[in-house]
Parts: sequence; C-alpha cells; structure tokens
Amino acid sequence: MIHDFRYVRPERLDEVLDLLSDRGEKGCVFSGGTDLFVDIRAGMTTPDYVVDLKGIESLHHLSFDKKEGLSIGACVTVNELIQHEAVKKHYSILAIAGRELASHQIRNRATVVGNVVTASPCGDMASPLLCLDAEAVILSNKGSRNILLSDFVTGVKSTTLRPDELVEKIIVPSRMIDATGGYKKLKRIRGHDLGVVSVALLKRKDTLRFAISSAAPTPVLLPDFPPSASVEEVQAAAQQAISPIDDVRCSREYRAFMVNVFIERLMKGAE
Amino acid sequence: MVRITVRVNGKEYTREVVESRTLLHFLREDLSLTGTKEGCGAGECGACTVILDGQAVNSCLILAAETDGSTIETIEGEAKNGKLSRMQEAFHNHHAVQCGFCTPGMIMTIKDLLRRKPKPSRDEIIDGIEGNFCRCTGYEQIIEAVLDVTGQLGKKEGLRHVR
Repeated sequence: MIHDFRYVRPERLDEVLDLLSDRGEKGCVFSGGTDLFVDIRAGMTTPDYVVDLKGIESLHHLSFDKKEGLSIGACVTVNELIQHEAVKKHYSILAIAGRELASHQIRNRATVVGNVVTASPCGDMASPLLCLDAEAVILSNKGSRNILLSDFVTGVKSTTLRPDELVEKIIVPSRMIDATGGYKKLKRIRGHDLGVVSVALLKRKDTLRFAISSAAPTPVLLPDFPPSASVEEVQAAAQQAISPIDDVRCSREYRAFMVNVFIERLMKGAE
Repeated sequence: MVRITVRVNGKEYTREVVESRTLLHFLREDLSLTGTKEGCGAGECGACTVILDGQAVNSCLILAAETDGSTIETIEGEAKNGKLSRMQEAFHNHHAVQCGFCTPGMIMTIKDLLRRKPKPSRDEIIDGIEGNFCRCTGYEQIIEAVLDVTGQLGKKEGLRHVR
C-alpha cells in the first residue's frame, strides 16, 4: 500500500465501540476490504488505523426467523447471503441482485452491510434492500438506534453514520417474505462491472415497488404502485425521480433511457 | 509490524510483516512466490487470485495481517515434481496461455470453480471466470481447456488435436 496504517483486530464488540468513541474519525472499520483498500491505494482515504471486524463472532450471523425476518450481520459476505436457503426462498430479489455484484472472488469477501455503508450510487445491494424496507441497526457506546435504509443513505458515499458508530446488522422485515422480484443491471461488459444503471422491482400481492441505482446521488425508491399500473405510468414517475449525470461510463440520456427499458422488461417479465 | 503464520501450498511460513502490506505483496516479495501477478491492484482483473481457506479471493485487496493462521493455495502448488497439474496440462494443450499474465489467477479461479461444480456447463465456466480478465486468448481456448479437463469436449473440438 502507498499509505501506511496500523491494523487492529478486536475480538469483542465493546472494544470496537470504545475505539470508535475515542478516535473514530482517524480510523476505518472493515470486513471484506474490497472498497476500503481500493480507496487507500488510490489515496482517497488515509486512515491512521484500520479495524478488522472479522474477529467478532456475532457480526457473522446470518439468520432467518418467520417473526423477526432476515438478519444480516456486518461481516456476512455477499456470497453467504445469496447462497442462503432462506434468502433464495423468501427474499429472492436479494439473491438475484447479489449475483450481479462484482465477481465471485469479490463476493467471497465483500459484505452486504459494507456495500450499503459505502453508499456508492451504483452499489447493488441498496436498491433491493430499499424495496424490502430494510433497516440498519447502529451501535455506539451510547446505545443503539434503528434507521430505515431510505433515511440512512444521504448522498454520494455519505450516510447518517457518525464516526463513533458501527452498523451491526441489517434487518429485512418478515412481512416481505411473500415478495418476488427482479433486478436489471446495465454494464459495459458481460461479467463483472460497476453498474451503469440498474432497476430493482419488488412485487407483492397488492403493490409494485421500484428502486433505481446509479441514476441519482442516492438509490431512488419510487412510491408504491398498484399491480394494475401501466408501464408508462411507472416510467413517468421514474423520470421525475431520477437525476442522472454524464460520466466516464455512460451519458445522462442513455441512463434515463435504460431506466425506462428496464422498467418495461421487469414489468413484462422479459429477459 | 505484526507476526503471522500461514500455510502456503502445504508449507508453513512465519514472518514479520508491515501491517499495510497486501497478501499479494507478501507472497511475491516476502515469500518470493512471484507466480501470483499484480494487474490492476483494485479487484477488477483477477490476476492476483489465490485460494484462501478454500475460497478464491483477490489477494491485492487483502492484508497479509488478516491471513494469520490461514491456508493459502497459489499457482506454485500446481505442478508436482516437475509435472504439470491436469489443469495446467489442459491450458498447454489448448493454447489457453498466450502472454501468460492472467494464467496463474485464471487457474486458481478454475480450481475453485471445479471444487464447487465438478462439471460446469459452458455458461457456468463463463460465469465462473467473470472476475478474471484475459486480453490475449479471447477466452475461447480457456473455456475449451476447462471443458476438456472435465471430460466434456469432443475428439475434434478444441485445439488439443492440432498439437
């Protein structure tokens, strides 16, 4: 690495919270490291120390309960999520979207929570989790708070997380287990790539819910539609809600156009 | 500095390492195992793929310090007593190696894929190597090598017969 830092691997959660409370702004917590070490190498972040969370047993928990819903600990990798039987059965949209995240090697390390906390506009986990009304459980020395992911992400790589806080887990409510859905992602090459634009659709008995990534500073959750909604109606609402930009990967116009294409494909069940 | 002990290709190593050193640089510079390559250094090209505790990973995005107590497999563990592994042999037979830079990572990815899916379909192979870039072969020879090593290639298919 170009930048030098200390490596800390606590084994207890309270050690992490004490560390963050004392000098949280100087360090970075990580589990997979697939975003952090790219940023450090590029000189975009220069922490004095990094805190490896993988030594904390409780953060590896991935569990499903018909009452509590799905609980995804901070160290649960994307591959662990998408291979989990309850996820495939009850939250298929997460398995479909997770499969689109980077490559097998990255998915073996990258965590679901990390993908959300990084808060990149093109993260693959945020939009399906927004559709599912997922909440983050946030800990600090002062206690804990729960926050809907739609309130948690505030801008490009920015969230409401304070330097003394840690996202312990993400909870997906059990009322969503009847939902089906899909996820369409535009990328420049077959195989792994950052999303140029992507759309998630969650279908429930009485509602259709869409979330769009890489088309605004944060993932955008559209208001709920009835199942009878027309493609044009959803497309019009989507175009109102997004504010895509031109960048190295694609033009603003192309992003807006592909949002409409993906909405139509998702609603018609097309490939 | 932090002291770590790892088992690489069956051999145990204990070393003091700089805390910010990646697993990739540890393997190459501290252990002189230079088979594993650095391409992009950002988890995109897969040239640095090794198998860490049974999982294919990008060694450029992992700190050596994180791997204390781990078992690591690299390309150097493939050939035994001067004899290529079956996968290496298949790469050779099918001209799946041109410049060779992606080959160590590619072979480690495929080794992991075949442990999970002993007989992957062509599409599963393509999906399986999505995290490994090859800029020479156009992938076709690599896919044929995997099909061959898993007994799925007809007699006149692939490049084996033109050798």
